[in-house]
Amino acid sequence: MVWQFSWLLLAATVQAASLSLQSPRFTISTPDATQLRSDTLSLTEKPEPLTLGPTDTLKLTFQITESDEGKGVQPHQTFLRFYDKASGEEGIQPVRVTPGGKAKFELNMVRPPASIPPTTHNPLEVSLILGSFVHAPAQYDLFDLYLPASQTPAEHPDEASFHVLPAIKHTFRPEQKSPPQFVSAVFAATVLSPWLVLIGLWSKIGVKVPNLFSLSIIPFTALLGAFEVLLVWYWVDLKLGQVLLYGGILAIPTVFAGKQALYATGEWRAGRK
Amino acid sequence: MAGPKSSSKPSTASSETYVAVSTLWKSYLDQTPDRLKFIDAFLAFTVLSGVLQFVYCVLVTNFPFNAFLAGFASSVGQFVLTASLRAQVNPENRSEFKEVSPERAFADFALGSIVLHFFVFNFLG
Repeated sequence: MVWQFSWLLLAATVQAASLSLQSPRFTISTPDATQLRSDTLSLTEKPEPLTLGPTDTLKLTFQITESDEGKGVQPHQTFLRFYDKASGEEGIQPVRVTPGGKAKFELNMVRPPASIPPTTHNPLEVSLILGSFVHAPAQYDLFDLYLPASQTPAEHPDEASFHVLPAIKHTFRPEQKSPPQFVSAVFAATVLSPWLVLIGLWSKIGVKVPNLFSLSIIPFTALLGAFEVLLVWYWVDLKLGQVLLYGGILAIPTVFAGKQALYATGEWRAGRK
Repeated sequence: MAGPKSSSKPSTASSETYVAVSTLWKSYLDQTPDRLKFIDAFLAFTVLSGVLQFVYCVLVTNFPFNAFLAGFASSVGQFVLTASLRAQVNPENRSEFKEVSPERAFADFALGSIVLHFFVFNFLG
């Protein structure tokens, strides 16, 4: 019963009490404490846009009160929001508020807080956001603020890797050409000339082969010749598998013919000796 | 080649070399069996053939490179096979190759040549 009552009471206070801003004031000063501009803020109408130089300091003071009693309160959350309408970037900066509701915010452009969004020549819209468990939330659009343009962000070491690479263009070596026909013919003749030397030397040596056409020798010679013909045929037309097949078939009679031929040769050699 | 010069003037080194070479050549002609000379002629043929192909490759072009490889490899391979045949059938080397008869050596030579020619034609492209 008591609990229910307290909840009702809480709801009533939420309904009743709202937060309000008292005596908001800003000051822009240079490092040597010269005040460039200082004014109170009207909550209904934005002032002329504020401009901060690269070394200037903006001071913002206000007090938060309950609208009914005028008593200072500390809301649970107090934020300044810096919003760049053009780029859509925003920065949220918490503001410390004393239990009495007084708050002071300083923006020193020599050391700007990290929460300030990247700035360009466009103004930042600055608004104050108040949040509370027991009061209705409140938001005040305070002013527009021109800040010096921020530096371009430092380039990431891997930045260069994340670009579209130029299209790969393959360069091929030029097609190799055959030498002129005359040169080809001359060298073909030159490379074939050792055959003449061979034939000349053999005819000079004059080895006799009396048994070349004997019945035991000729099959072996013919089968060896058949192997060479098969290989030439391979060069001209056949596939590898066919050559291996035919060669395998051809090998069987060649082995027997060779055995017979060489046996006969051995006999002749033994008989002659 | 001409016959050996008379060795009355052994003054210069070049003439000594000439004498040595001509003596070597003469004894080769006199003492080597005709069958070995027959093989030697074939060896000279393969060497000459390989050298000429290499010269062509260096001087003109290696354009069908596979064809050059096939031709050159066939020369070199045939030389190796023939040289081993010659070593095995040489009567002087009989003591070295007691178990290898000349017929066996020739069978090896024929088989080796067929395999070599298979690879050569394979490369010829």
